[in-house]
Amino acid sequence: MKWLSDEKLNRLRTVVSQPDFSATKYTFVKELGRGGMGAVYLAEDPELDRLVAIKVLNTPEITEDLRNRMVREAQIIARLEHPGIVPVHDVGTLPDGRIYYAMKYVRGSRLDEYAAQSASLRDRLRKFQAVCDAVAFAHAHGVIHRDLKPQNIMIGSFGEVLVLDWGIAKIRDDPRASAAYQTNDGAVIGTQNYMSPEQARGQIDQVDERSDIYALGAVLYFLLNDQPKISKAAHAICSKAMASAKEDRYATASELSDDTGRLLDAEPVSAYRESAFERVSRWVSKNRFLVLLVLAYLLMRIFLIFTSRR
Amino acid sequence: MSKPLIGVILGAVLGVIDGLTAWFTPAVRNELGGIVIGSTIKGIIAGIAIGFFAKKFQSLPIGIVFGVLVGALLAALVAIMQGGYYLEIILPGTLVGLIVGFATQKYGTTPAAAN
Amino acid sequence: MIDPDTDIGGPLHKFPATNHSAIINARSDDRLVRRRAFDTILASYWKPAYKYVRLKWHADNEDAKDLTQGFFASAFEKNYFATYDARKASFQTFLRTCLDGFVANERKAGQRLKRGGDIDHYQLDFAAAEDELAAHASASLSPEDYFHREWVRWMFTLAVDAFRQRCEESGRIVHFQLFERYDLIDDEVSYASLAKEFGLEPATVNNYLAAARRDFRRIVLEKLREITATDEEFRIEARSLLGVDPQ
Repeated sequence: MKWLSDEKLNRLRTVVSQPDFSATKYTFVKELGRGGMGAVYLAEDPELDRLVAIKVLNTPEITEDLRNRMVREAQIIARLEHPGIVPVHDVGTLPDGRIYYAMKYVRGSRLDEYAAQSASLRDRLRKFQAVCDAVAFAHAHGVIHRDLKPQNIMIGSFGEVLVLDWGIAKIRDDPRASAAYQTNDGAVIGTQNYMSPEQARGQIDQVDERSDIYALGAVLYFLLNDQPKISKAAHAICSKAMASAKEDRYATASELSDDTGRLLDAEPVSAYRESAFERVSRWVSKNRFLVLLVLAYLLMRIFLIFTSRR
Repeated sequence: MSKPLIGVILGAVLGVIDGLTAWFTPAVRNELGGIVIGSTIKGIIAGIAIGFFAKKFQSLPIGIVFGVLVGALLAALVAIMQGGYYLEIILPGTLVGLIVGFATQKYGTTPAAAN
Repeated sequence: MIDPDTDIGGPLHKFPATNHSAIINARSDDRLVRRRAFDTILASYWKPAYKYVRLKWHADNEDAKDLTQGFFASAFEKNYFATYDARKASFQTFLRTCLDGFVANERKAGQRLKRGGDIDHYQLDFAAAEDELAAHASASLSPEDYFHREWVRWMFTLAVDAFRQRCEESGRIVHFQLFERYDLIDDEVSYASLAKEFGLEPATVNNYLAAARRDFRRIVLEKLREITATDEEFRIEARSLLGVDPQ
């Protein structure tokens, strides 16, 4: 038997792990990334002359259970038609038995990469608001993401915001209708730093929309963390979203989005009660130019009074 | 709040302040009441004109320029009628026009936005 | 669409999935079952074990040969693998640990090993292993990492050989030759040049290669399944072998 050099060995390993798209209309281009149970590949769709991202269930053995869960993931995403949720084009089985679904290829950067490029606070808050809107839409259709984090949010090349990776999403009131891949009760699902307390405790039956609110709060915290000066209102929004008790959090992602909008518009936010001084300061800050004009007018008036006296 | 209304309120308030500062000029202190009323009316007229302009044309630079022109024109008329105190009347009047021009462009709703 | 004729093993659902784990069968009370299981384990591990003993224990080639054969002979006779617990470590780690213990004991005893036992009749090509070691030993890896790397290399070597045999048996040697040319020998060859060389259409070359890779993947996973004891271990080892994520 011939010796396999390291180079040949690596090539064989790549060949074996690459998906076989030969029975589909797609042509493999390259691997985009991997995580969880699957890997995502860039592929060409020659029929529509476009690039697509294809998620492939990449376990060495495909059971019926895993197959159904992957299909369920695709179905969950497909039923959410929203500009902030990546659309699914297709779902199928590769010749080697692996399940895949094809979705829109988003050119851009993940939210953590976007933030690292020194995006301004206003930009970050606007993007965050868009994420909240997408999540609110999903919640309105009974879908809970359960793994919201900066790495699962893409900022497209035109600034559009898309929420990705619904691999462990859950449909409310239907514990079987879940794309989650763990089978044990009490198993912890999600990503640690963004996991709500009820998720961290493995209380899957307690996980609902407010668990996503917690994760959104953690995403907001991530976006604000490296900023030099954060207002008390911004802190209050974070704290409310990330309250330990579900009842103390925002009831909906829309409420969180609205409060973020008010923060952007220098309006009072529901999460924070301002003192009279803070209210005046905020108004002055928001209407800085007008205040300066009036002050300039008054100064000019005083100047004229003094000069006319002389 | 509509733009003309903002113009009227701001023009009136600044007109009153304008008029009251005449108290610091002893020569005209006796006529303070008339000055305040006249100044207020001037401010309201300017506010209406600038406010309606802002309702029709949404452009901050143009609105400010219009405000300055209206404020200066009305103030010049008053100064000519007074026969003096040209700087003390025209300069503040121009600045009031600028402030009202800015405020009516920045704040207040247009009919399209309100709908 | 794939030409069904190009799929060597037939559609996926007809291709028999191997459910037998040699690790589990190594504990069987049936000696014949145990023997077959042992054969599988021996085939998968003798070469990396030999190289490991040479490098870690600084044994010369004759001693390493004796130690390797002696280890596997003892492993069968004394049923070492019956004590393996997949919850504690991978089988690879367990075997390597047993091997270390065996060599240490033999060194302490200070006796020349008798070659023999039940593995005398196996054709283990120690000469080839020695040549490979001489040509490709790595000073930068720890003995444990070297053992793992050589195990991966050997698994793929066995898979390539098994694939070639299956292609020969099923009359599809062209599939193997294309696979060999494109994925094993020459990085620069194109579908078009292969098509010309083999007198095939480029689309056929594409289909044959796709089928060959599918079947090769199946064989690699079959071989891996044989030497893992549990689903969890299989997934973890698949990750290191293929770069596939476990659950």
